[in-house]
Amino acid sequence: MTLADLGFWGLGVYLLLLVGIAIVARRARRNDSPADHFLGGRDLGVFVLFLTLYATAYSGNSLLGYPGEAYRRGFSWIMATGFMLSIIVVFHALVPRLRPIAIREHFVTPGDWVRFRFSSEPGARDLLLGVALLMTLALLNFLFAQLKAMGELAEQVTAGAVPYEWGIAILAAMILFYETLGGMRAVAWTDAFQGILMLVGLAALLSWLLAEAGGLGELTGQILAARPDAADIPDATEQANWISTIVLLGLASVVYPQAIQRIYAARSGKVLRRSFALMTFMPLTTTLVVTLIGLAAIARFQDLGSVEADRVMPLLLGAWASSGAYQAIAALIVFLGALAAIMSTADSVLLSLGSIAAEDLLGRSHRDAATTQLGKRVAGGLMIGMALLAMVAREVTLWGVIELKMELLIQCVPVFLLAIRWPGMRARPALLGLVVGTAIAILGVYLDAKRVGGVHIGVIGLCVNILIGSLGSLRRPLAARAL
Amino acid sequence: MCGIGLLFAASIPWYRGEAPPGRLLGLPDWVAVALLCYTLAAVLNSVAWLLTDVPDSIEASEEEAP
Repeated sequence: MTLADLGFWGLGVYLLLLVGIAIVARRARRNDSPADHFLGGRDLGVFVLFLTLYATAYSGNSLLGYPGEAYRRGFSWIMATGFMLSIIVVFHALVPRLRPIAIREHFVTPGDWVRFRFSSEPGARDLLLGVALLMTLALLNFLFAQLKAMGELAEQVTAGAVPYEWGIAILAAMILFYETLGGMRAVAWTDAFQGILMLVGLAALLSWLLAEAGGLGELTGQILAARPDAADIPDATEQANWISTIVLLGLASVVYPQAIQRIYAARSGKVLRRSFALMTFMPLTTTLVVTLIGLAAIARFQDLGSVEADRVMPLLLGAWASSGAYQAIAALIVFLGALAAIMSTADSVLLSLGSIAAEDLLGRSHRDAATTQLGKRVAGGLMIGMALLAMVAREVTLWGVIELKMELLIQCVPVFLLAIRWPGMRARPALLGLVVGTAIAILGVYLDAKRVGGVHIGVIGLCVNILIGSLGSLRRPLAARAL
Repeated sequence: MCGIGLLFAASIPWYRGEAPPGRLLGLPDWVAVALLCYTLAAVLNSVAWLLTDVPDSIEASEEEAP
């Protein structure tokens, strides 16, 4: 049996398992409220919460984009381990304060925090819309990247038997099915299954690469023989980019809507802190591993183009599978693990999109069962639209897509991290800061000035954003209110 | 948190001169140093999370309307 046959049947079995999990999740639902559908009844325990946080944070970008970036940049991509770790560090600034308020006030979406924090202040509604719109754009961007990666992998895993476009259509339909059926419970439980698959798959692939090379030292030697400048010490601009990427990813990832909603969905504060204590090691078991995999590809494949570099993982798996029957099965597990990582991120993104659109953009109540139905319909429409877009826009690099998303999302940081610690922050200056910061980020990206001296334009926009929000709030303070 | 910040600062090879990198733990030395910094930072951060008090008022959510 060839890898293509194995892949075709393996994919089928994997999808059937997801259907089973979705049906069980559907039976476990308590009611049709938005809190039950979008937050799993606020009852996620340590095991499921940790794995759903993990599977959501590590996506198609991590599994396909990061090895591609390591292949392009060489050893300096070790910075990825740092910026993924910084996310779990920055959560300290948000979680202990947001969690008790969220439970007390029955938050469902990130916008509920904005609504609560700025309540009836002038400009509060516009600020809520601004934050919701930015989050929606960032999530759509994120969903697009996942769909693209799903299509690529489905084509690879079945050796073309399932073409790119059909891969997107089938897998997107599957996500819509289990999410509509089981909501956050189905997403979290499938995430847990997918997270385990991803961990096992990556560990197996790295073991094979190291064994083939004869150890880490030998592998480094082979990489340097193929590309001597891969280990060059980063220059000042690249070091500034390293710091800037840690700031960009560390801050922006903390305001991921799907991450914020998992803060609301945890069974208790104790469960949250234990999950984050475990999550802190995941950059070492995942980001570092995919970085090494991308570096190993330098020794095996020379002169891949920029877009082709995103395919180093499937290329490596193809090489592994061709070396024997057991290797083919192991490669299939990695393929499915990568696919699982992508689907688990896409489903979380879609769930957040539905809730944000229904509650924050369309203004529906978070206590009304009709909001759940509206959220499901909106999510379905957005999924179909983004799937069609991903089918026609195949030639876009994944890292480029991630960067654009982060430049937008990071502009929401002051409304969360600053406003939760500073009662004097006001809605109108915060909104003005958000608009100016976003304008700087978008202009920079579209004028091809994504970095200034290595610093991301989104980080520069954030600095201006914070300055405007802070000075404006200080100029005309309201009476401080207790949170 | 200060310790974690210092480890992040030390992970970036701003202190290195022009000399070509040597090897440490099978990796270019500045890469190995960055990796050690991130490993230590992960341990410290994990301990910090276990010591962090995340106030829990889950009982309030039971009043939520169905």
